[in-house]
Amino acid sequence: MNKFQPLTFYSRKAEDSYRFLPFRFNRFRDDHVLVTNMVGEYHILSSKAFEKFTKHQLDQTSKDYINLRAKHFLLDESNEVAIDLLALKLRTKLSRLSDFTALHIFVVSLRCEHSCPYCQVSRQSEDKNKYDMSIEIADKAIDLVFNSPSPAIKIEFQGGEPLLNFDLIKYIVKKAQVVNQAHQRYLDFVIATNLAVVTSDILNFCRDNKVHISTSLDGPSDLHNKNRPRKGNDSYERTINGIQLARDILGKDQVSALMTTTEASLNRVKEIIDEYVDAEFNGIFLRHLSPYGFAIKTKSYASYSTERWLDFYREGLEYIIQLNKDGVKFQEFYASTVLKKILTSEESGFVDLMSPAGLGIAAVVYNYDGTVHPSDESRMLAEMGDEKFKLGNVLKNSYEEIFTSDALLSPLEDSFAASNPMCSDCAFESYCGADPVYHYAMHKDFVGRKPESSFCKRNMTIIEYLIGRMEDDPYVKTLFQRWANC
Amino acid sequence: MSLVKFDKKVYDLNGIKKAAYKFIDKVAANISEEEDSFEVELRFSREISKEAQEHFVSEFTKEVLDQNLRESIKKETEGYRNLILAHVFSKTSLVKNE
Repeated sequence: MNKFQPLTFYSRKAEDSYRFLPFRFNRFRDDHVLVTNMVGEYHILSSKAFEKFTKHQLDQTSKDYINLRAKHFLLDESNEVAIDLLALKLRTKLSRLSDFTALHIFVVSLRCEHSCPYCQVSRQSEDKNKYDMSIEIADKAIDLVFNSPSPAIKIEFQGGEPLLNFDLIKYIVKKAQVVNQAHQRYLDFVIATNLAVVTSDILNFCRDNKVHISTSLDGPSDLHNKNRPRKGNDSYERTINGIQLARDILGKDQVSALMTTTEASLNRVKEIIDEYVDAEFNGIFLRHLSPYGFAIKTKSYASYSTERWLDFYREGLEYIIQLNKDGVKFQEFYASTVLKKILTSEESGFVDLMSPAGLGIAAVVYNYDGTVHPSDESRMLAEMGDEKFKLGNVLKNSYEEIFTSDALLSPLEDSFAASNPMCSDCAFESYCGADPVYHYAMHKDFVGRKPESSFCKRNMTIIEYLIGRMEDDPYVKTLFQRWANC
Repeated sequence: MSLVKFDKKVYDLNGIKKAAYKFIDKVAANISEEEDSFEVELRFSREISKEAQEHFVSEFTKEVLDQNLRESIKKETEGYRNLILAHVFSKTSLVKNE
């Protein structure tokens, strides 16, 4: 078989017919159109070329035609294999679905020694017996974990501050390891902690049992301490010292950090990024606030608009691009997640950007009181008194009852972006998600009104921005390709 | 308030509805069917100048065109979409032979 097509292949005449393969389009910038297909390939045409394309009049020797054929937007007699290739890519993209739940979150305590006004989980400060998970609940939850068919299981400990109930964490880790001897899954653990009460003994246990640490770092000392008040006003110092101690004992790559954007962060994105660079992290996740818990009660969520957060995000991303140009290897993780969807056939498994949503089928939460929720956000909503998404209780319900409950299946059915109004025709559908919990929290409806949805505006703007930057700057295209494949 | 007419022989009602949905944050659209046309009455959520209304009507008309094009692409590619999806799941255990 020849490796190359004959010259006649490239110089076929315009009157040869071609047929469309499924695609969507959005108007892009002033006079262009962005087309995407079901596996996320994209191409940008001038409005004029798009008109010719849709009238079946595109010159078959043009660059646009060759690109559209290579990316499976059209079918002619020379690429009948396109359907097989599209099917293969789509199957790769959807392959995570059949693995089912991989992330299992244990809320081992709702107690916390911090009093952050933006806290999204409505932490409690007292009553150990009332707000700590019991061994009985932990045992039942571990049974449920191993009912999942997923070959890789990650158990994440959250709070409150989970280290306040470290004895239970130790118990769950040891028990899960024993149970896993029969199941032979790839088992992983992570503790989401502010590190304020961490000790060498705790970290030695983490090292010996391969437990990863995920902490919170909101930026420079004054900003972090303002966002994250605690007795002694020393949250920042404790976090930085904790990161150092954890790296010394566990290794540098076993410690990661997350930030949350408050109103006070908005003018300081460069300082926040510098803080992460100085602390030798390889990237940052520029996160907006979510409409749950104390973030609503203290009005933190309403303190800035989506547009203002997007300005913050764009300024941060530009700064990170410049850092890379100056030789500092650093990435923005939300962009990396979206870019993976745009530039590869892989899905990141990021719950907010899944369609159908990752509710229950990618992640599940076992709360301190035994209640089961299909995502961290839905347990936050439950702490606010709305149990719309509650799937059951580990003490009362079986695996089958929990994972076939209407509380899970109804929002899942409504979370296929391809079936949602406006999303179904949006060129960004294969890069985006549905997030029924967010839409329910804001619109009291799993689908929500997309033209009024901050989720939609935020993601549409970011996706268009990322694609635009790749089109404008070859350096950025190479950089983004690297991020997508990290 | 603005009134826009679309020729029934040219435009698809579904495309008009989708365009109306896209601007739901700006206008309430009342769509009615006449003998030869679909009539869309656009009521703006807040008072805007005549010039701004005319600009909006032009944007709305363009969107109706885009939505109609989407409808025809969808119809033209329906067979391929179904074929690809069937192919995707053909080797999984989710599809069992009867």
